[in-house]
Amino acid sequence: MNPLYHVGRYSQLMYRCFSKPQRIGVFLKQMIKEIDRLGVSSLFITLIVSLFMGAVMTVQTQNNIENPILPDYTVGLVTRDTLLLEFCSMVLCLFLSGNIGSNIASQIGTMRISEQIDAMDIMGVNSANYIILPKIAAVVFYVPILVVFSMFTGMFGGYLISVFTDIITTSKFIYGIQYWFIEWYVYYSLIKAAVFAFIIASVSAYWGYYVRGGTLEVGKASTRAVVSCSVLILLADMILTQLLLL
Amino acid sequence: MIEVRDVSKSFVSDERVLKHISTEFHSGKINQIIGQSGSGKTVLLKCIVGLHIPDSGDILYDGRSFTAMTKKEKMQLCSEIGMLFQGSALFDSLTILENVMFPMKMFSDKNDKEQQSRARFCLERVGLNDVFDMYPSELSGGMQKRAAIARAISLNPKYLFCDEPNSGLDPLSAIKIDELIVELTKEFQMTTIINTHDLNSVLSVGEQIVFIHKGEKAWEGPKEKLFVSNCSELNDFIFASEMFQKFRTNLVSEQAGHS
Ligand SMILES: Nc1ncnc2c1ncn2[C@@H]1O[C@H](COP(=O)(O)OP(=O)(O)O)[C@@H](O)[C@H]1O
Ligand SMILES: [Mg+2]
Repeated sequence: MNPLYHVGRYSQLMYRCFSKPQRIGVFLKQMIKEIDRLGVSSLFITLIVSLFMGAVMTVQTQNNIENPILPDYTVGLVTRDTLLLEFCSMVLCLFLSGNIGSNIASQIGTMRISEQIDAMDIMGVNSANYIILPKIAAVVFYVPILVVFSMFTGMFGGYLISVFTDIITTSKFIYGIQYWFIEWYVYYSLIKAAVFAFIIASVSAYWGYYVRGGTLEVGKASTRAVVSCSVLILLADMILTQLLLL
Repeated sequence: MIEVRDVSKSFVSDERVLKHISTEFHSGKINQIIGQSGSGKTVLLKCIVGLHIPDSGDILYDGRSFTAMTKKEKMQLCSEIGMLFQGSALFDSLTILENVMFPMKMFSDKNDKEQQSRARFCLERVGLNDVFDMYPSELSGGMQKRAAIARAISLNPKYLFCDEPNSGLDPLSAIKIDELIVELTKEFQMTTIINTHDLNSVLSVGEQIVFIHKGEKAWEGPKEKLFVSNCSELNDFIFASEMFQKFRTNLVSEQAGHS
């Protein structure tokens, strides 16, 4: 498995994918279908994951900063910033790559082994463009929206901890999550989410598109998709943090 | 007419799947490519339609060389080709009617209503009358094949390619599908190429036969000469079953009686 081989083939696929859709109407319809199919099903997992992330963050932070020098509002502040900076984009996208990525890879892989992609090519339809572009557009469009949901539910999770336990008082938590708020962090998170979304959709599509063989290979492709998406997301996270924050 | 000129094909790090194949397929006729599983029939068919790019050699569509075509001419050719894939390859997220309309949606300037009526016409032509709004997974194998044929002919192709059209079907459905392909070929004077390893199909509808063995063209000729060839690979292929061995014995004794 030569990595350069995959990079080259991936670039070729993306080149074919990013051309003007033959029929704009068909493209938009496809995109809405994808949002409905992938986005709505990921909303639930996003909310669950974020709620617990926020809650756990709050408990952990409180546990780890038992320190008389630090002010009480630190817990809220740290929870908020960690959620905004990393958790709601990077960690959430890692989850979504399992959900959306494997779905895309196996769907396209199935189309490949059942020769549906060949059928399109033979009709002169640009199959990469027809199948992949609406998925990328849909995922890049709604993953940032999921991230916004995630930010709210994450902090709500922390708030629930402050209400239902005596780890931290509600007023201090609320004060903390409002203290020294940096708006840029939100945009930063959304930019990252869009990039991660692109990685998830395009890389999984790549693995699915080049499946050869039978159903077993489709399964392998979707595993590969999840693994390579996760690694690439972490890599991109590092690069983007360097670029956007430092 | 389609001419295949000295086509070879190999895949990454594999040995050559097709070796120097040259042959001709005539219009208005049922041309068949026969051979064992894995002999390279599908690869040859996909080379002919341009899904695989041959390593060397050329394909001529009524004199038009495939390798010399511009992108625009290739698109034109695409609209003249209909293909029936081994597993039907219907788009499973679309209904049967939408499947048949798909090529028109992408290419023709007809409005939605005309497209629908053309799609209905094609579906009725292949004998599917009341499954328009069903999804491919809800249809039997034979009906899926029919729907796929309807999709293949929706743009009035000049060339029809069928990859094992009757694999996975019961004998009766298989014959029906074969007959349908023959009717359509004669009706629209298409150049039809059928891949098959099914001798029943060869005997009932075949006209011009090409036999592929391990990626090489081992024999070609009209169906009538199939049983009297000197090609040992071909004879091994045909007379593998006892029934056809008996058939040959009869044939030989019949001929002996005549002379
Ligand atoms: N895309 C491909 N990449 C590599 N090898 C392939 C590919 N497609 C087919 N082959 C190989 O080519 C050979 C012929 O396959 P095929 O044409 O499908 O046979 P059949 O005559 O049964 O249709 C097989 O050994 C198969 O493994
Ligand atoms: Mg085959």
